[in-house]
Amino acid sequence: MSVRDLRVTLGGQAILRGVNLHLHRGQLVALIGPNGSGKTTLLRAMVGLQKPDSGEVKLFGESNLKKALPRVGYVPQRLALDRSFILSVREFLALRLRETQHWFWHRHRDTDDRLRAAMAELGAESLLDRPIAALSGGQLQRVLIIFALLKQPDLLLLDEPTAGVDTPGEQDFYETIAEVHRRHKLTVVLVSHDLSMVYRHASWVYALNGVVCCEGTPEHVMNADSLKEAYGLNVTPYHHHGHSHGPGVTH
Amino acid sequence: MNFSDIEPFMLRAFAVAVVMGPLCALLGVFVTARRMAFFSDTIAHGALAGIALGFLLGFEDPTWPMVLFSLLVAAAILWLKEHTELLTDTIMALLLSGSVAFGIIVLSLLKNRRGELHRYLFGDILSVGPDDVWLAVVLCGAIGVWLFVKVSPLALLTASEDLAHVCGVRTRWLNYAFVLVLTVVVSLSIRLLGIILVTSLVVIPPAAARNLARNLRQQIILSLIIGLFGGAAGTVASYHWDIPCGPAIVMVCIGVFIISLVVGKLWVNRPAQEKAA
Repeated sequence: MSVRDLRVTLGGQAILRGVNLHLHRGQLVALIGPNGSGKTTLLRAMVGLQKPDSGEVKLFGESNLKKALPRVGYVPQRLALDRSFILSVREFLALRLRETQHWFWHRHRDTDDRLRAAMAELGAESLLDRPIAALSGGQLQRVLIIFALLKQPDLLLLDEPTAGVDTPGEQDFYETIAEVHRRHKLTVVLVSHDLSMVYRHASWVYALNGVVCCEGTPEHVMNADSLKEAYGLNVTPYHHHGHSHGPGVTH
Repeated sequence: MNFSDIEPFMLRAFAVAVVMGPLCALLGVFVTARRMAFFSDTIAHGALAGIALGFLLGFEDPTWPMVLFSLLVAAAILWLKEHTELLTDTIMALLLSGSVAFGIIVLSLLKNRRGELHRYLFGDILSVGPDDVWLAVVLCGAIGVWLFVKVSPLALLTASEDLAHVCGVRTRWLNYAFVLVLTVVVSLSIRLLGIILVTSLVVIPPAAARNLARNLRQQIILSLIIGLFGGAAGTVASYHWDIPCGPAIVMVCIGVFIISLVVGKLWVNRPAQEKAA
């Protein structure tokens, strides 16, 4: 996947000012940067949800994104669901499978088995018959990841997947994403604010602030100078559980 | 009662009610989930200006001007939403009040059409002509088939436009098609239900079904049944007791809603609550 000189303006403000990325198969890539740095805009442009002013996105060498989308799994930050919408998790997941496009008429045992197996992989089997609008933030994110994985994508894009997850659940959640990355041999692109998670799990990091400020391995990017360039803040390494996890940000 | 004793106008009204009732109810499942009830109300009120304009232009039957003006109002809502910073509610309130004001002024100027206002505001089974029956059956049959084919993409679109796009749904096209279908169905239901009450047939059956359903499939099926029953029973009640048709259909639906609320609280949701406790 590559992004070349991508420029996006929103509400008269230049959000992306010539972003270049190049991802290799099998990487777990983290996009970090302060609020408003264009991380979500970049991710949305990668799947055609945000039209760029100029520049090019290529997925699997294909610049026609519609052709590439069947190989992509996308997990948005959240779903703005009305509680009156009683779509169950089972029904929601079935919407992802082409063979169940007419699930209203037919309900196949094979499909049910497939959905149950997918849910069991992420320990969410008990949620199958719950209304999706009634799930907690963490439960919903798990279901969204399962939804994204159902078509066995080659690329998984996650936009701040822990946005609605409580603090104790965050670490567990990132472990799950890392496990999914290993088991499915996927390329994962993840927008994150959690620098310690990036340090532990990412294989490549892009620090973004309108442009790519720096890129490289977590050890290379996550030092005081690089983060100061991206965040405009002073940063110091911090220690957690008795050993160094990476840098923390201080004003 | 002998079937042949029934007045033809009653049979026509009944035919339209059993077609439009379930169709409005099916559309309503997505209208309520997408918070579009006020949108439906706005295009219904927009129809009043179309009716008035139709009479002004010399139409004896203002069905087509009514449908066209409702479509114009729907297009205006979408255009203003995309090209201005105004809130959607503000846009709809503006168009609703503007259309009603325009319609009432024109009707008040047409001396021989003043009586039509009451008929279109509250619905009248006498106003359903033979052409209305054919129009309702053919058009709504086609729309019903389209809706059933598009249930899955519509459900995904309702859950998340972004996810629907990534899954290959042509979201912009489907949004416009849904608005078009809603506008046509609502404006064609006006003769029976009246401008003021037409949205209730879009909102109440899915709301009643929501009280009883555990998933979307159940809500759609129950909503269709309640819409069918409300339309049929309301029309019969209107004929039998000589009361306005729209309010009769709405009161039947309200009755079903109250029953569903009680049944839902006592039986359907109880096991889940006890389990949670």
